Amino acid sequence: MRKAIGASALVLWSTVWIGTADAQSISQRGFVEGRGFLFPQTAPNDTTREIGDALFREEVFLKPAGWIQFAAGLDLRANSHDQVEDEWRIDFADRGVRRPRAAIRRLTATVTARGFTLDVGKQFIRWGRADILNPTDRFAPRDYLNVIDTDFLPVLGARSSVQIRNETFEAVWVPRLTPSRLPLFNQRWTAVPADAVGISIVDGGSDVPRGSQFGVRWNHSGGRFEGALSYFDGFNHLPDIGSRVLPSGAAIELTRTYPAIRTYGADLAVPTGLFTLKSEVAYFTSPSSTSEEYVLYVVEMERQTGEWLLDGGYAGDVVTKTGASFPFAPDRGVAKSIIGRASYTVDPRRTVAIEGAVRQNGDGFYVKGEFSEAWGQHWRMTATGVGISGDEGDFLGQYHRNSHASVALRFSF
Amino acid sequence: MNKGREGRDARHGQGGRDSLREIRVMRRRLAGLAVLVCVGTGLQARPNAADDARQIVEEAQKRTTVSSERYEGLLQSFVASGKTSEKRWTVERLGSHGQSKEVIRFTAPAEVKGVALLVLNHPDRASDQWMWTPAIERDRRIALQDRSTRFFGTDFSFEDLEERDVNQYDYALLGEDAIDGAACWKIQSTPREAKSSQYTHSIIWVRKDNYVVAQVDSYVMTKAVRQVKYTNISNIQGIWTAREVTMTDLRRGSITRLALDKIEYNVPLAEANFTLQAIRRQ
Repeated sequence: MRKAIGASALVLWSTVWIGTADAQSISQRGFVEGRGFLFPQTAPNDTTREIGDALFREEVFLKPAGWIQFAAGLDLRANSHDQVEDEWRIDFADRGVRRPRAAIRRLTATVTARGFTLDVGKQFIRWGRADILNPTDRFAPRDYLNVIDTDFLPVLGARSSVQIRNETFEAVWVPRLTPSRLPLFNQRWTAVPADAVGISIVDGGSDVPRGSQFGVRWNHSGGRFEGALSYFDGFNHLPDIGSRVLPSGAAIELTRTYPAIRTYGADLAVPTGLFTLKSEVAYFTSPSSTSEEYVLYVVEMERQTGEWLLDGGYAGDVVTKTGASFPFAPDRGVAKSIIGRASYTVDPRRTVAIEGAVRQNGDGFYVKGEFSEAWGQHWRMTATGVGISGDEGDFLGQYHRNSHASVALRFSF
Repeated sequence: MNKGREGRDARHGQGGRDSLREIRVMRRRLAGLAVLVCVGTGLQARPNAADDARQIVEEAQKRTTVSSERYEGLLQSFVASGKTSEKRWTVERLGSHGQSKEVIRFTAPAEVKGVALLVLNHPDRASDQWMWTPAIERDRRIALQDRSTRFFGTDFSFEDLEERDVNQYDYALLGEDAIDGAACWKIQSTPREAKSSQYTHSIIWVRKDNYVVAQVDSYVMTKAVRQVKYTNISNIQGIWTAREVTMTDLRRGSITRLALDKIEYNVPLAEANFTLQAIRRQ
């Protein structure tokens, strides 16, 4: 009897599989990349000047029928400077202090029906329209092991959207916060103040809240402008840093807590005759008495002309309620700055780009130049140079010892 | 040389064995002028085809009007320095001309796989275009003033990827000319005010034998800036179709050749695949 049931199930499965075979499509993309960094200067808490990094990434997309699609992705990493966990395990949460050696980058089921789309699983959720800074992008934590060269982290959640002509309504639910990955406390991207040199820093861990997060967004894509309004209720993926001197007196313990926040956001893009005006703003409120409340905004202009893509603008913030917390806030760290980016396509294989930010008070400055060249169908080399200068008290300026150069070689398949 | 032979084949095919069946198919299928990546067509020149430029273009457009289209393209770019690049894309189009929606998705090389362009054409104004870049999980609207820039390292500008509609232009018949040995009407098209265009006017050569667009030279003021040629014409599902499109950027001296493969017309395509949400799916 059991055999019969098994055989029937097999036949049924085969029938369904064969029946859907015509509609199936499978695709993949991936790469292997090796990258070397050279820092001319040492930092008080980090004397390593050369770092090697390797990443293998593979993503597979399966569409068994027109209404459903699956996506899966895997990252494998190695690093010469202890930025990758030692143990071999498949990480799904992406909440570790160091990058996981093997991580599920993406694991999503997408269901579509007419204008309705539902994505469930580990995925990337991006909100906002600006290029320089995205105050409304609340479901997009980042990896800040290198503060100037960041990467987005996926989140586990459900995202549904309905498109009706030019209007799109979106709702996102994330059962638990995925925090941004901070610079390691014993490495150069944790800038140690001059008067704290010699004091050891002990990682006191992270207090990742267990509550869920929710957000809704209405987006209009009209002929004359695009705009969106959004609301987010959850936690800031950037932490407040708590500190206490350990009883020995020779060490400071740092802990990370993630305050509850609500944000009310809007973004807008208006093409004009000469350039596209983009703006994005979010008002951050928090029930926590220690957290600041503020408005973070960016206004930028973008223009593509010939082989040039030019983008420049101003990012600012306005504090509406002061707080006693000490946040790690790269987004606010580049606020009150003039920011610009220019890229030039030399030919179909080569591009050059330069971007930079300068604080309006002149206390911090960074510039990043990049040259990239493809060889054949698979290889690409990218050389990058980053210069940083400024005062120790400024978010950008505190990294003045971290100017560096890097070369990456990627094989895509 | 081959182009001339193809032209003769085309004429011969219509006049003789290509048959009533083909003509019936053609009548069912609409035709038209898909000026660039989308296909030039034609069946046979009607004996009394008016010399009126607008009527000629209308007829060319009618003959390429289809309910949908799908093809795979190989793009080869050649620059003056000798460097070349190769990309592949798939194109799906729903509707025709001013009413159509189109998704272009790169499939190779690996580093651009998944990059997609959504084009929503409008009968009365310039198209709306968005580009999806999976590496940064973001879409970007292509602003009107950016339409003159090159599309992803090719010699096609974003505007060139639009489908032109006969009603967006005014026409003037300039005379007759031959392209690769085929007799053509030479027509000047000038964009109407509502149609925002980088080009002040274009010269279009439409073959007299089959109403296929053979060449388009596009001008900024008095200077020709881009030239597109349609060659390797064959009959696909009753529609005369250019299998090779060569775009020359006359200012840069660079060339992009698009070879069309696996061309299908009137395939069932879901309207839901032509949205911003849909191009985000791989």
